[in-house]
Amino acid sequence: MKIIFGVLVFIGVMLAQLVVADGNFNTKLIAEFRSYPNSNPGTIDSGQSLELNIDAYKDFGTARGVIELVARIDDQDSGRRILDARQAYIGGEIGGFEIYVGNRQEFWGKAESTNIVDVVNQRDGAADQGGAGKLGAPSLSVERYTEYGDLQVWYMPNFQELTFNDSNAHPSGGLPIKPARYQRSEGKNADDLAFRFSSVVDDWDLAGSLFYGTVRNPILSVVDIGTALEPYYPKQKSLGLEAQYTGDATLLKWESLHGSQDNKNFFAAVAGLEYTLYGLLDQVWDLGLLVEAQHDERPQAAAKRIYVAGLRLTLNDAKDTSLLFLTSQDEDWDQSLISFEASRRLNSWSSIDVGAKFFDAKTPTSAFGSLDDDDTISIKLNMFF
Amino acid sequence: MRIFFAILTAGLASSFVMGTPVLANKGLEIATEVIQRDEGWGDTSSKMTMILKDKYGQSTQRSLRNKSLEGSMEGDKSLVIFDTPGDVRGTAFLSHTKKTGSDDQWLYLPALKRVKRIASSNKAGPFMGSEFSFEDIASQEIEKYTYKYLSDEKYNGVDCFVVEYDPVDRKSGYSIQKTWIDQSKYIVLKTEYYDRKKSLLKTLTFDGYKKYDGKFWRADTFLMINHQTGKETELQYENWVFGTGLSEKDFNKSTLKKVK
Repeated sequence: MKIIFGVLVFIGVMLAQLVVADGNFNTKLIAEFRSYPNSNPGTIDSGQSLELNIDAYKDFGTARGVIELVARIDDQDSGRRILDARQAYIGGEIGGFEIYVGNRQEFWGKAESTNIVDVVNQRDGAADQGGAGKLGAPSLSVERYTEYGDLQVWYMPNFQELTFNDSNAHPSGGLPIKPARYQRSEGKNADDLAFRFSSVVDDWDLAGSLFYGTVRNPILSVVDIGTALEPYYPKQKSLGLEAQYTGDATLLKWESLHGSQDNKNFFAAVAGLEYTLYGLLDQVWDLGLLVEAQHDERPQAAAKRIYVAGLRLTLNDAKDTSLLFLTSQDEDWDQSLISFEASRRLNSWSSIDVGAKFFDAKTPTSAFGSLDDDDTISIKLNMFF
Repeated sequence: MRIFFAILTAGLASSFVMGTPVLANKGLEIATEVIQRDEGWGDTSSKMTMILKDKYGQSTQRSLRNKSLEGSMEGDKSLVIFDTPGDVRGTAFLSHTKKTGSDDQWLYLPALKRVKRIASSNKAGPFMGSEFSFEDIASQEIEKYTYKYLSDEKYNGVDCFVVEYDPVDRKSGYSIQKTWIDQSKYIVLKTEYYDRKKSLLKTLTFDGYKKYDGKFWRADTFLMINHQTGKETELQYENWVFGTGLSEKDFNKSTLKKVK
């Protein structure tokens, strides 16, 4: 039934595209198949989903309206079903200030393995095995570009909760998720504020940010005599710092967050090094080497220290073939994650992504220990219209 | 994904930034004249179709839009926006050319809304899987080469100077470049690229030159043939517009995320 609905939406969108037909309207359809080779009994061992992305904009004089919708249906996991306006805003310039009202998506950060300073949007945690997908942030934001750098001010009156996979789906802790608790009495309606100043000084890209609001990533506790998980969203006040040095073939990256959460002080940081070997093996291939260290004192972190190492091979061919291999390990050599991603263009309107993730932990009660049946192999077909 | 350097104005034929040349030899004199005749272009925009052909004649296409701003104290700035293929649609590439040292480059990834500074030392590498390398299409600087006049020669019935361009940078993929320059218009008609082992690697020919604003020559078609792999890449330009009113602000890393 849902698939039929999805197909109807898709046909509607295609017709709308014909009507607008000025190139400001784009659609993307993603068909995904996932297999869970290590799934526990009683959990799903595979899943399929269909995701539609609609992206359109229209200019009204100097103002611009932008809309970016995501709709996803999934045959097994209700946590992955979603309809969200990742972006739906009007923006324009008034007296040297860019002013935006509506849902926006914003990225802050420099590192590759995690972005602790990226505080504006909530993540679509159930999608992409907790990957990069985001939910729109209802907001009023103002930006100003100066010769010294760029200033952003964000006011966010509404909060979107992290999405979770079903308890019999993957990845999950295997327990149902209870309604969330908030430290702030206004709950979802508490106001959040964020500021950021970013600048470029020669080979350095620098930024500093302030955040006052409800943290995006909740603390999960086992409650009700071990039968449920309860998300708790504390208040966070933090100062974020970002730096990237860009050398000839070397990138140095830094993100840090100082502040308090739930009235307890914390420090978190990511430091990284990326080095690229160009023209590998006398071919036009590039090999990127990546090392990052994560430190996070907050209870949400899987471990206090995590080390990440990776290789990225880019073939620079007409099909843009690329492969990424990453491995992460906590400081006690207890929890580890190995992931592999490959992508390649098929033709002018489609591309394919293949991915695999394997969790391992010696301690079953650790964060990765609860994910030990969540190993995933996925194939994604992306189609662009 | 291979991202490429801005296809600045018209490759070798334009956008050289004036140094303070001492006209020690005829080669340098000619190369300098090529640059001087193209000064003052201000800002431009154009559309480009890139056609990649493999040695079996199978072809694939990409379409992009270019915007560039002439530098005065600093080098030129350029912005490239990808329209097709679908998987790179909306990706944008910003380059601030430096007169000396590496250029500053940022990439905008629309799915993540992320602006990423990227390393720019890979000048010999191909861009977008094509036969053009980063250095072939980057904004040129007079200081990037030493010059040697070789001969006068006719090319397609046009009287040309043949000048050797020797890259100063050791990271260049070439030992030398041989360039055929129209003696009356001072525009480049053909360039031969020789690899580090001094064998002929690629030939680039320019076609369909038109004059804009009564002064600036731009070619419609760039054809790069790789003699060692048998592959070809053709760039077809259209809608060259000069004086579009672009300013520094349009080439800022933060405004990159607003590009559509």
